[in-house]
Amino acid sequence: MAGLSRMRRIRVIPVLTIDRERRLVKTVAFGKRTYIGDPINAVRIFNTKMVDEILLLDIDASVDGRGPSFEAIGDIVEEAFLPMGYGGGIRSVDDAAQLFRLGLEKVVLSSEALANPGLVTAIAERFGAQAVAVSLPYAKKLLGGQQVLTKSGKSKTGHAPVEAAKAMVAAGAGEIILYSIDRDGKWSGYDLATVTAVAEAIDVPVVACGGAAGLGDFLPAVQSGASAVAASSLFVYRAQNQGVLISYPDEADLKEQLFQKLN
Amino acid sequence: MTEATSPLPTSSTRVCTRTVMDGSDPDIVFDEEGVSNHWHEYQALMATQPDAGQKKARLEKLLADIKADGAGKDYDCVIGLSGGVDSSYVTWLAKQWDLRPLIVHFDNGWNNELAVRNIENICKKLGFELHTFVMDWEEFRDLQRSYFKASVVDLEVPTDHMISGALYRLAAQHKLKYMLSGLNFATESVMPPSWNYAKFDLENIRNIHKKFGTKPLKKLPALGVWQKAWYQLIRGIHSEAVLDLIDYNKAEAKALLIRELDWVDYGGKHYESLFTRFYQGYILPRKFGVDKRKAHLSNLILSGQMTRDEALRELQQPTYDEVLQERDKAYVRKKLGFTESEFEAVLNLPNQRHEVYGTDKTQRERYFRIVGALGKAMRAVGLKR
Repeated sequence: MAGLSRMRRIRVIPVLTIDRERRLVKTVAFGKRTYIGDPINAVRIFNTKMVDEILLLDIDASVDGRGPSFEAIGDIVEEAFLPMGYGGGIRSVDDAAQLFRLGLEKVVLSSEALANPGLVTAIAERFGAQAVAVSLPYAKKLLGGQQVLTKSGKSKTGHAPVEAAKAMVAAGAGEIILYSIDRDGKWSGYDLATVTAVAEAIDVPVVACGGAAGLGDFLPAVQSGASAVAASSLFVYRAQNQGVLISYPDEADLKEQLFQKLN
Repeated sequence: MTEATSPLPTSSTRVCTRTVMDGSDPDIVFDEEGVSNHWHEYQALMATQPDAGQKKARLEKLLADIKADGAGKDYDCVIGLSGGVDSSYVTWLAKQWDLRPLIVHFDNGWNNELAVRNIENICKKLGFELHTFVMDWEEFRDLQRSYFKASVVDLEVPTDHMISGALYRLAAQHKLKYMLSGLNFATESVMPPSWNYAKFDLENIRNIHKKFGTKPLKKLPALGVWQKAWYQLIRGIHSEAVLDLIDYNKAEAKALLIRELDWVDYGGKHYESLFTRFYQGYILPRKFGVDKRKAHLSNLILSGQMTRDEALRELQQPTYDEVLQERDKAYVRKKLGFTESEFEAVLNLPNQRHEVYGTDKTQRERYFRIVGALGKAMRAVGLKR
């Protein structure tokens, strides 16, 4: 078993997005939405599939200017015996405290964190940096370069991903979720250049997100510096342009195509 | 639910001597040798069935027709795939027959992991594309809640109705005429009338929902008398029970699926859905005194796939693991949005016949009058013999 214990593992994280009506939806480039079902049952299936971790994001909360839907989140978390993170509409330490009480392992901040880095600091001081991730959704600018966008991609911050990541880590973030809006739902592979740039600039784990089309995309992301990989379309559709079907790679396939190729 | 609320009918002690059907079917009739009507009906049904040669000829003609109709189209037929044994086997057969099916999975929010894994493996190994019809869960939940509150026996009507509705709708969208179904005499012909209800009675569905539902049903694929007439008579779509055209043996089909497609057995008929497992394994026996296994096992006995002794032994076992039953109960309650006391209350409501909520009988009568008159008119002008 010595070989096994030395094998490096990478977290492979399904991202589930819910809308204001607590419906599970999947976006393309944070725009067009497809209804994909009931989040409770989806989480239940992922739970049986023994996934490493799930991220649940309410993509309307900050746009609507409301807080998390605690009751709905609680119903979903109850079905998960695996670590789960939640993001969307978290505006105070109290919001975070209530989410941890529901059984979440991690809170994911984004719009509010960029506007008010002090919130990251306050939550990290109280619950530890490992419990606070900051999601940085970013897209290409018209005239070149990239910038982080908040409020579900609707609000421009003017900050480049590297700059924003550094600021969030300085504020106390324990993890940065680097979310390419341009690649969301496009099955075009991760944005490796930005993963590399951000991973080199900060010393906390970077989670690559947006664009994964298959198991084969995970290794390059990790080789570019990602500590974990996240995906949504890949895990909720049977394949590109096909029907909704929850899936997750087998442990054997992950070992063969990812873990054993590391180090 | 407590024992006191769900007594089994006492007449259920008399068991058919050829099958395992008993007095829990209130309409059962025994002959002087203790053989039930189910045995006699099965023999009568089989007597009308084509022989092996005729079946083969029919199948060959059907496959030729499907391929001819599909020429130039992306697909040539529609198959609804639940991940259960019958539909999985039909999908496997379609591959052997060189068909190009549009595989449709109907997601009503109750899939379990085994079902989705089976579907994934089947599509991957056979190289078929999957199309999923995702029900709007909030609407569907409202309809399912209505059925609980109505306290009627067939809580599967919403699912069964909408599956067919979705399949017809997709067939029409893709201009396909053939739907291959997993229904079959060999394992599904015995079913007491009082144990379920007409799946296509849209009037009954709407009435139950009107009385107990709270939000409008806008996105559900309806398939009442008139929709069905349109799909079948105007669009020419028909469902083909292809398992009746082959020598269908369930155990052999399972073994093949496991061997060829990494298919995983989920135990129990239709247990690929958590809701169905709970409904058949918990609600039906406790609330209605109905153990559907008796019908399923009787079918296997009648088609020579199981001995009566084996079936009787299997019936000694609980419908499924009792710890799991309680876990399912908590999950079903939560997912349907009932509090614990509300759920106990609806489970303890007096049972009602579907008919008390009104049926589509007058619609069907009108339909048959129109079809009859049309036929007459067409014969009169020589369009039809």
